[in-house]
Amino acid sequence: MASVKSLVAIVALAGGCDSLQNFGGAVPPLVTIDLRVDGALPAGTVAPKVALMWGQAWLTEPLCIIPPDSDSAAAAIAAGCRDAFGFVPDHVGADVDVVPGEPIQISLSSLPAADVLVGDVTARVAYASLVLYDDRDASGTLELSRPHRLGGREDGPPDEQGPDSVDVVLATSFLSMTHPDQRLAYREGAFVTTAYYPRAGCGDPLPGFSIDGAGGFSAADAIAATLGGTLPQEDPATCSQLAPAATTVALVLPGDPDVREIACEERRSDSSIRFREPPEMEPDLTMRTAACTQLASFGAPPAMPQTQFVISGRPDECKGLTHYVLRGCREDANCELPDWDISATPPTWWPCP
Amino acid sequence: MRLVLIAVVVGFARIAHADGTLLGDDTWNFKPGNELAIDGGLVVALPAALPAGQALGVGGGFSYGRGLAWGARAEGLTATEGSEFWTVTHRELRLRATGAATTTAGRATIGLRLGLGGNLVHETRTRNQASRLMSDVFETRAIALLPGADLAFVIELHIAGHWLFELAGGPTIDVVASNAHFGWSTELGVAWRP
Repeated sequence: MASVKSLVAIVALAGGCDSLQNFGGAVPPLVTIDLRVDGALPAGTVAPKVALMWGQAWLTEPLCIIPPDSDSAAAAIAAGCRDAFGFVPDHVGADVDVVPGEPIQISLSSLPAADVLVGDVTARVAYASLVLYDDRDASGTLELSRPHRLGGREDGPPDEQGPDSVDVVLATSFLSMTHPDQRLAYREGAFVTTAYYPRAGCGDPLPGFSIDGAGGFSAADAIAATLGGTLPQEDPATCSQLAPAATTVALVLPGDPDVREIACEERRSDSSIRFREPPEMEPDLTMRTAACTQLASFGAPPAMPQTQFVISGRPDECKGLTHYVLRGCREDANCELPDWDISATPPTWWPCP
Repeated sequence: MRLVLIAVVVGFARIAHADGTLLGDDTWNFKPGNELAIDGGLVVALPAALPAGQALGVGGGFSYGRGLAWGARAEGLTATEGSEFWTVTHRELRLRATGAATTTAGRATIGLRLGLGGNLVHETRTRNQASRLMSDVFETRAIALLPGADLAFVIELHIAGHWLFELAGGPTIDVVASNAHFGWSTELGVAWRP
């Protein structure tokens, strides 16, 4: 009888000490990053937050990096081309509120998906920038905007006239490869140096998550290295690869004047251009910069040269260029069988020779 | 190749002819056996603690007596289910002391079996995606002994000799985090009554 009582007691005790959690309990984040804001938030900041923004492998269009053929083309490029070495967002992975004077930590509950990772399954990497912004629309996250390109004629592609985000970007840890940066790196498998936000000269990112720093290189060095078939070198003295728990990412205020470009996503990432047929009515060029310039290409010059009319976006919009050609296809202005050819009867407003 | 096949067919035919028929008049004769019965089989049940999924495993036990029988059973079950963040595996060892009331109807023995005991549950939780980080710090383990009971409707059918086909199933109850957790359990197996 005593043994039965003991058995019942043991069973009851074990049942009382049930430590099973099933699907419940706290969910540990896969990584937590410590942040700090250096400098005062601008007056009128409504809801400061930090976003973790994964980067897109992006290649600028040829016109934006090949030397311009005129001053007007240079002006249009300056107004309509984003930094060719800048960080281009793919999507926002996490957001966290910023309370002035309190430590900031941002955590990830999921790893970047395969569409963000660059490389194959044995060696792939993704980079993220940490962005301080004012969540003006109180949506809880940083919405991205797109360049507004002008429309074409009837059979042209649709306009991209979606509303812009009202969120205001204040600072970022990784704006451009031509600036010093601190980026979140996520590495799976081995590391292979590629042209995806390269840090040649620095150490490899640590396996898993790491906070990687680099001093940046100049655009001239990058172009020279690219022409030489290499990657621009970072100064090793400016490099760092640290575990997230071993460092704090600084977001410095005031941010770079072009910092809002980091919240501009790109429709195309492979340097390709969507050409448009010029409309019959002159497009609204108010606050835009336009120029006539030759078609640019990373390859051989076109067999049938023609002039394009490029128009920048407005200064308060994401940078982007609209390309009008009198003869061509959407994807290729030099196509053999053009979708349109009005070179013999250009619109009356057509300004180019 | 043809010769080999012909040789095989002819060889088997001669063996069959030598042994006589495969089924005889007494093939399905059975022996009632004594009061001891040993059984084992496949078990499908609701997990003792997981709120979702099915647990699969094997179980076995013995009983002694006719009309009123007593015995013991043990079942080992595994269930793995996932949520947005976790993949949870429960490995259960269900131990029961049993008492049964049975009656005989022809070849069949029908009865109700009550089991009382505990479920020893080992839990392994893996944080989803943690394997991509090559880290085991996102894995948790726990173990618990949960009081449990089950009631099973049992059918045993004599097949041949001392062997029986067995089917059992019914409701279960156990206590998880001070709450009653209801479920069900079924078993399909064979029994041997010497």
